[in-house]
Amino acid sequence: MSVCVLFLRSAARSCRALAAFPASRRTLRTSPPSGAFAKELFLGKIEKKEVFPFPEVSQDELNEINQFVIPLEKFFTEEVDSQKIDQEGKIPEETLEKLKSLGLFGLQVPEEYGGLGLSNTMYARLGEVMALDGSIAVTLSAHQAIGLKGIILAGSEKQKIKYLPKLASGEHIAAFCLTEPSSGSDAASIQTRATLSDDKKHYILNGSKIWITNGGLANIFTVFAKTEIIDSDGSIKDKITAFIVERDFGGVTNGKPEDKLGIRGSNSKQLSCEVHFENTRVPVENVLGEVGDGFKVAMNILNSGRFSMGSFVAGMLKKLIEMTAEYACTRKQFNKNLSEFGLIKEKFALMAQKAYVMESMTYLTAGMLDQPGIPDCSIEAAMVKVFSSEGAWQCVSEALQILGGSGYMRDYPYERLLRDARILLIFEGTNEILRMFIALTGLQHAGRILTARVKELKRGNVTTVMQTVGQRLWDSLGRTVDLGLTGKLGVVHPSVADSANKLEENVYYFGRTVETLLLRFGKTIVEEQLVLKRVANILINLYGMTAVLSRASRAIRSGLRNHDQEILLANMFCVEAYYQNLFTLSQLDKYSPENLDEQIKKVSQHILEKRTYVCAHPLDKAS
Amino acid sequence: MSWVQATRLSRGLLRGWGSICGATLTGPPFSQVPPKAPRGLHCSATVHSSDSWLVPLPPEPPRKPTKAPAQHEELFGAAPGERDKASFVRAVQHFEQRSARKRGHVDFIYLALRKMRDYGVERDLAVYNLLLDIFPKEVFRPRNIFQRMFVHYPRQQECGIAVLEQMENHGVMPDKETEFLLIQIFGRKSYPMLKFLRMRLWFSRFKNINPFPVPRDLPQDPVDLAKLGLRHMEPDLSARVTVYQMPLSKDWTGAADPTQPHIVGIQSPEQQAALAQHNPARPIFVEGPFSLWLRDQCVYYHILRADLLPPEERKVEEIPEEWNLYYPMQLDLDYGRSGWDDYEFDINEVEEGPIFAMCMAGAHDQATLAKWIQGLQETNPGLAQIPVVFRLAASTGELLAASPGLKEPPPPPPQSQEEEEDNLQRQERGQS
Repeated sequence: MSVCVLFLRSAARSCRALAAFPASRRTLRTSPPSGAFAKELFLGKIEKKEVFPFPEVSQDELNEINQFVIPLEKFFTEEVDSQKIDQEGKIPEETLEKLKSLGLFGLQVPEEYGGLGLSNTMYARLGEVMALDGSIAVTLSAHQAIGLKGIILAGSEKQKIKYLPKLASGEHIAAFCLTEPSSGSDAASIQTRATLSDDKKHYILNGSKIWITNGGLANIFTVFAKTEIIDSDGSIKDKITAFIVERDFGGVTNGKPEDKLGIRGSNSKQLSCEVHFENTRVPVENVLGEVGDGFKVAMNILNSGRFSMGSFVAGMLKKLIEMTAEYACTRKQFNKNLSEFGLIKEKFALMAQKAYVMESMTYLTAGMLDQPGIPDCSIEAAMVKVFSSEGAWQCVSEALQILGGSGYMRDYPYERLLRDARILLIFEGTNEILRMFIALTGLQHAGRILTARVKELKRGNVTTVMQTVGQRLWDSLGRTVDLGLTGKLGVVHPSVADSANKLEENVYYFGRTVETLLLRFGKTIVEEQLVLKRVANILINLYGMTAVLSRASRAIRSGLRNHDQEILLANMFCVEAYYQNLFTLSQLDKYSPENLDEQIKKVSQHILEKRTYVCAHPLDKAS
Repeated sequence: MSWVQATRLSRGLLRGWGSICGATLTGPPFSQVPPKAPRGLHCSATVHSSDSWLVPLPPEPPRKPTKAPAQHEELFGAAPGERDKASFVRAVQHFEQRSARKRGHVDFIYLALRKMRDYGVERDLAVYNLLLDIFPKEVFRPRNIFQRMFVHYPRQQECGIAVLEQMENHGVMPDKETEFLLIQIFGRKSYPMLKFLRMRLWFSRFKNINPFPVPRDLPQDPVDLAKLGLRHMEPDLSARVTVYQMPLSKDWTGAADPTQPHIVGIQSPEQQAALAQHNPARPIFVEGPFSLWLRDQCVYYHILRADLLPPEERKVEEIPEEWNLYYPMQLDLDYGRSGWDDYEFDINEVEEGPIFAMCMAGAHDQATLAKWIQGLQETNPGLAQIPVVFRLAASTGELLAASPGLKEPPPPPPQSQEEEEDNLQRQERGQS
């Protein structure tokens, strides 16, 4: 118990420190943050101010965080039995109690409502520890990253006072009810309906939601349902509204528990299941935000929660590296340790690199989010999510490979990690959907700014056309791009200057390509998903490169431990990403031999028409 | 196989294997002697004075096939009761035993070819090989350059080609054994061999050329056949086939009760949705019958369709504002696709009204089709409010008129049997 008392006290202190912190930082940054780093990349520009130098926290704050982290780490390594949770499909009651007493259910709830009021950076740091058990991490995230986030973001003062304190203490648990059998990301097909009662004091809620994490455990639900709205022009329209629903309102039942591949700790009936609402009477004052604003509420909640996945995964990967390194250095084959084989070494380098990039991206994004004002970092957060989930899957798979047959066994934790990691690619928006989001949001921004230029080009304005042609010619002569990252007063340290030049070149040509794409497709680019995927891939790489360069430069300049390793990792990632980007950029050319879009479309067309694999069996004969 | 064809074949052969007599090719073309010419020599050939091989000869005046019983007829007529592969093979073996010198084998082979369909072995490769095996081996192989230059044993070669041609007509792919036999009988450079090579080449190219394959053996049951035909026409694999009415008598050939013919319909979910959205003020039409050929069977179908909506009534599909939770479904830009990436320009689309369902029925009258519409109303409740107009074509088609009953008219195969036989006989006569 002493641990948690210490923890709570330190938490409170850290929050006070944090409250003072933004004010001091505000004086340092004079220009208002626009949160537009990723968007500017689409125009071939680097907003240096946004990403250099790498965001730092003050020494006090750092000490506070460490005081949080150490007991928490101890708790997770010593008291949480992940294997048992996975096998029994249940988080033990006492573990949950302990988590509550540690204050982990109200990390981001503001202090005045009884939470710890942690900044995004600190939340990310704690996430690294919480990720040591997948099921607990999912339960906690579902509770506070989406479950109660709606109340923090859109709730009225009254609602906050009423609900947040109990949620922060863990007395009540929150769940987020959006998905329905017929509606994944398609909000228009939501079937749950809320109708205003005759006395206009209640909404009657009817419908069912599926895959609700914490669904059986929660007392407070954020529910999205369709309501009839009278539009400004007098017509009646169906719009989505968000409601805070208490289990005590009545009519809330749970369906069958869901048997899942991974994160089985949240398998039990209480933790992930269907939730049905039958004539649940929700008071009018429990509408979250305005009536009919549910769509925006949902979008904001989803966009705000994503960045933390980066630190969750990074924490898991660092643990994974420790465990596999231990194995590789002790297991002998042919009188050699596994660690002496090149192919094994390669896997460790890969894992380290992924973890490094992931961390850099996450903390850079968290730093941006923690800036005063309300910066819009949804693209960055989505990029972190895509990169980290894919990195997690790849690294866990490689780790399993190091273990060989043992990795496949249930006695070792690796297969569980693999199963748990698979969900990361799917939830909080599948990676495919997020790629569309990343590319389209950026293209929308670039498209607006380039409108005048594109129009002139289309009209055939001689000056603009000549200018563009001249620029392309000049580019084709292989001029070096200088966006001011390196050089005498550059923000990047000379040790990674080569990589910075590569980034500059990529960014410049990416801007050119985006312009060409907009010229070619205009607003119909929405239909070109293969193109959008590539745009998103390039952007993710560019953001990763920026993050590692920024972080490595800071590490060298402030003389952090083992910064030579950081230089290695940063340079390695940048070179890889550079060549990947070059390849992808050439794929975006219409007539390049690398562009296989037409073939891809044809092949899948054949298959989907017949709904089967169409090739003849290799043993078949024509006669 | 007429003489003209043979002439062309010979021309092709000479071209193909021009190495044999390249010099002759430059001269006037060779042709087989007309049937009237005396035919003492096997390799007789005269120089044709005109280039008539270039122009197809006018068709010969149809000669009435003489119905005189052909030679060896008795071999096949012996056991009229059982007509299957075994008895066919027995007949062939009987012939071989009867004449050790194989006298009259060409006549016999022509006869056997005609009889194959009766015995149901017209698609059996082994039987064709058996027929080829009747030819004496090594006798007809050309032995010197002159024999090779001209058609050696033309009548026998013609007969060999006839066998191969019948195989071709029935889609039977020759195999190694056929090749071996042909080489043994006629040698490597002969017309049957050329035919064989061409079959090997083109059969493999053409066998799977139809992207919508029809099974080789069609179901006999009209309901099954209708199901097959409807599936064949419907591109959507989620479409559901419904049998609205089974025929009273399952007997395909028997006289079924004409008051209850079969009705089989197909409708895809998309068509169902489109029908549900149809404006009840506009009538929909039942049209037909339209014909569909499945191999050698012709079936008739009807469609339920509506007219194309006039442009002012069409609803523009709007993208709802709050639709996708994750990414924008449309960009707020006021410029579209440029000409370079606009592939629409060379597509000429004719707009047609929607088709809501299809059916195949045993009878093509309004009463039967009304039953179909009744059946459709069960799955499409909206259909009850829509006026349905029957626009049935008068059964003017001769195929339709041929059999008004339940049974679909037995359509003539592309080349009717009689005609085929006539051809064969003509060839025989022409040569003998």
